[in-house]
Amino acid sequence: MKGTILALLLMACAADAAAVPALQEELQETPLLSQQVATGELAPIARRLPDPPYVDTLSTTQADTEQGQQGGSIRLLMGKAKDVRQLVVYGYARLIGFNDRMELEADILEAFEVEGNRRFTFHLRPGHRWSDGVPFTSEDFRYFWEDVALNTELSPFGPPVALVVDGRLPTVEILDRYTVRYTWQNPNPEFLLALAGPSPLYIYRPAHYLKQFHVRYADPDQLAQRVEEAKIKKKQWTGLHQRQDHQYKFDNPDLPTLQPWIPVTPPPSEHFVFRRNPYYHRIDSAGRQLPYLDEIVIDIASGKLIPAKTGAGESDLQGRYLEMSNYTFLREGAKRGNFDVRLWSSSRGARVALYPNLNANDETWQRLLRDVRFRRALSLATNRHEINQVIYFGLALEGANTLIPASPLYRPEYRDAWARFDPEQANRLLDEIGLQQRDARGIRLLPDGRPAEIIVQSAGESTEETDVLELIHDSWMEVGIKIYVKPTEREIFRNRIFAGDALMSVWFGLENGLATADMTPAELAPTSQQQLQWSEWGKHYETGQGMPPDLPEAQRLLALYRQWRHADQIEERRRIWHEMLQIHADQVYSIGTVTEVKQPIVVNRHLHNVPESALWNWEPNAFFGRFRPDRFWLDPARSNSVAGGQ
Amino acid sequence: MAYYIGRRLLLMIPTLIVISFIIFVIIQLPPGDYLESYVAELESQGESVDPGQIAALRSQYGLDEPFLVQYLTWSTGMLHGDFGYSFEYGLPVTEVVGDRLFLTVIISLCTILFTWLIAFPIGMYSATHQYSWGDYGLTLLGFLGLATPNFLLALVMLYFANVTFGISIGGLMDPQYLDADWSWDKLMSVLQHLWIPVIVIGTSGTAAMIRRLRANLLDELHKPYVVTGRAKGVPPFRLLVKYPLRVSLNFFIADIGSMLPSIISGAEIVAVVLSLPTTGPILIAALQSQDMYLAGSFLMFLALLTVIGVLVSDIALALLDPRIRLEGVRTS
Repeated sequence: MKGTILALLLMACAADAAAVPALQEELQETPLLSQQVATGELAPIARRLPDPPYVDTLSTTQADTEQGQQGGSIRLLMGKAKDVRQLVVYGYARLIGFNDRMELEADILEAFEVEGNRRFTFHLRPGHRWSDGVPFTSEDFRYFWEDVALNTELSPFGPPVALVVDGRLPTVEILDRYTVRYTWQNPNPEFLLALAGPSPLYIYRPAHYLKQFHVRYADPDQLAQRVEEAKIKKKQWTGLHQRQDHQYKFDNPDLPTLQPWIPVTPPPSEHFVFRRNPYYHRIDSAGRQLPYLDEIVIDIASGKLIPAKTGAGESDLQGRYLEMSNYTFLREGAKRGNFDVRLWSSSRGARVALYPNLNANDETWQRLLRDVRFRRALSLATNRHEINQVIYFGLALEGANTLIPASPLYRPEYRDAWARFDPEQANRLLDEIGLQQRDARGIRLLPDGRPAEIIVQSAGESTEETDVLELIHDSWMEVGIKIYVKPTEREIFRNRIFAGDALMSVWFGLENGLATADMTPAELAPTSQQQLQWSEWGKHYETGQGMPPDLPEAQRLLALYRQWRHADQIEERRRIWHEMLQIHADQVYSIGTVTEVKQPIVVNRHLHNVPESALWNWEPNAFFGRFRPDRFWLDPARSNSVAGGQ
Repeated sequence: MAYYIGRRLLLMIPTLIVISFIIFVIIQLPPGDYLESYVAELESQGESVDPGQIAALRSQYGLDEPFLVQYLTWSTGMLHGDFGYSFEYGLPVTEVVGDRLFLTVIISLCTILFTWLIAFPIGMYSATHQYSWGDYGLTLLGFLGLATPNFLLALVMLYFANVTFGISIGGLMDPQYLDADWSWDKLMSVLQHLWIPVIVIGTSGTAAMIRRLRANLLDELHKPYVVTGRAKGVPPFRLLVKYPLRVSLNFFIADIGSMLPSIISGAEIVAVVLSLPTTGPILIAALQSQDMYLAGSFLMFLALLTVIGVLVSDIALALLDPRIRLEGVRTS
């Protein structure tokens, strides 16, 4: 009898030992939480972590990071209460995310398998828990798929577009408690990218929390009462469910999350506090649970005042709302304050780009704008060097609107194509088209006798844009083309382009200048109505209405994009990307100016692991996200004086 | 009197209905709706939105309904205290505005007090010492206050307050007190920040008040009853305060009508520059992002206060100055 008990005990111990990760001896309790653990309010760290946790081997060799200490609080400034969603962007806990080497890597997931871009199998980390301690399992995936995405009341327009491939939905299989599988008939190369996105595609929901708002699970009376109390318009349960279910907006402190910090303050407020998630799945190799920082505080201030407040030392980590024009002021503040100003680069294809509208209604202009010689001439007549010197302190990179050098797909010839300042050749090209006649002001005359005056639609975003256009105006005058700038509201701006009333518009360049062959080249092909140079063709791709592309090069771009979507091999994708980039360089569908404009980043001097220089962009870096703010840590010995000082 | 007040109260109903309609039309006039502004804002930061999601939101918010239906829902809702839903904040309008009202009222009251404290002595002095160096000097000062753009003054003062006194920039208190309960320290922090907006907003109002007080007083000072009083040996200051000043206060009472709404709305532009937690920035942001129920209900509230304010000042005038009659003279 005694023997059996002993054997049972031994077995239990053995089972325990197997269940606990090898690191268990080294796991260290978080100082902030030790009190709660001691009173039994919170489980000890070994039982809060999944098995296995993600072990972040912070090393100086790879990303210039070091192991830090837990604790501390930093302040961020945001312009609107809605900006708290940036903490999902910065938090960067994704099913699959980009690592330091820009590869996709399982993060929340323990592992994933992809077969031919058609079949995706995800393995969850056993024992992973939501921020309220409830296990995170395949049920959360099932709930999203069956009860949210496929529920016609909650999602009247069907599942998110990233889950729809050529009009078909995936087969979703819940294989077991920790395994789910998505299978499409055709390849879906954008699926993993969407999961890793700065605003990620959420294919899971905290089912245990949301079921209380779902008509299929909730008690009808209770649900009706909740809807009543929440003053939902039209008194529908869907409104309540949608309001509680803001994983990206991050404004519901009750909604469980997997992010490193969880919101504490319910809106409306001017002062949002985020506390560490005690169930976060990442640890460093010394067994300390991440994030290092206990707390992040976001203060809301008017966007225009943020540079001033940052300069006065009221932010410990700031990039958003700062611009190059604030740089000298910030440096001035850094002398008095306790922060460094670093210069990161932006990674859009061009800071300011002009988009000739190939779908313009005006027939004479349309013919001209579709003539590649005309677009090349305009590009040649743009003095990029002058723009760089006058507006960007000479720190930017001049050239066409294409990828930036940090991208593996970059080739200098794409950036240099038709991008040197050569008014003579521009004049020659324009003469060749048949625009020899000029009026008394020296402006060329169109075939129908009108002067070549282009109204450039601008969304009136910044004075910087106006300054650039002023310089372009002067250099284009040299070749006999006059531009006028018309600033409008953003909605009017878009509507004029959609309607074909705009001849030319000004906006940022390529969104993702850092693309790799695995990222979608959709931006390069007419695939969206939002594309300023061929809005109508894009609309045709999206909805089937409007006109399909009728220029051979644009048709080719679209065909290439479709090929990319079905391409299995990386070489094939790389080839497609290069051909598309080549077409763009040659056809000058947009006129770029400069890129890699510097972005000031203000960092508290005692905050470690923030890169010295990096790229500041939405996709794929998610601003600070890919550099993992859960690794940022405050040197406690020195930062105490900081907190007392302000 | 009761008949008059009753009639005025009844007249307010059609006035407010007309105002509500005009407000709604004007808010709807710019092309697009809240969701389009929202999408445009996201896109300018590089984010993109699922068109299906936007369409779902549009029907959830009722933005796809015809104009008149939207108007009727909103206006009838207001009758039983439902001011609609703010898209931007994702909360009922009352909750968004509620918290900020208190601080707005404090700032406005302080500003009004500040204006009076400065304007009254100066106005009285200028009128009694007309065309003296003091009159010119103080008037010049008042005009300087009027002519300096508020927002510029605000920025300059912010900078110096931060650099010389180490006061945090913008807002009404140091960040650590933002969500804290009221305490002595919090009050002190508020007082530390309060003087900048009070001075900035106050300076512009002072000049106008000085000039009007001076002009009204000058009209009175030369009237025979003043001369009589002086001849009878009433001390000059007592005479000034007791008779001409009281008579010249009519404009001041009439001002109540416009003061009431301004207490609630605060000085919007300055509040935006100073990032004050008042209602002004909310109103401006709501108009910009076409958060129409928030903007509409807020404007409606201001309209109501204006209408009430005008009534109150009319009644007060009638009570204070017997020369003013409420109704036309009945000729019999």
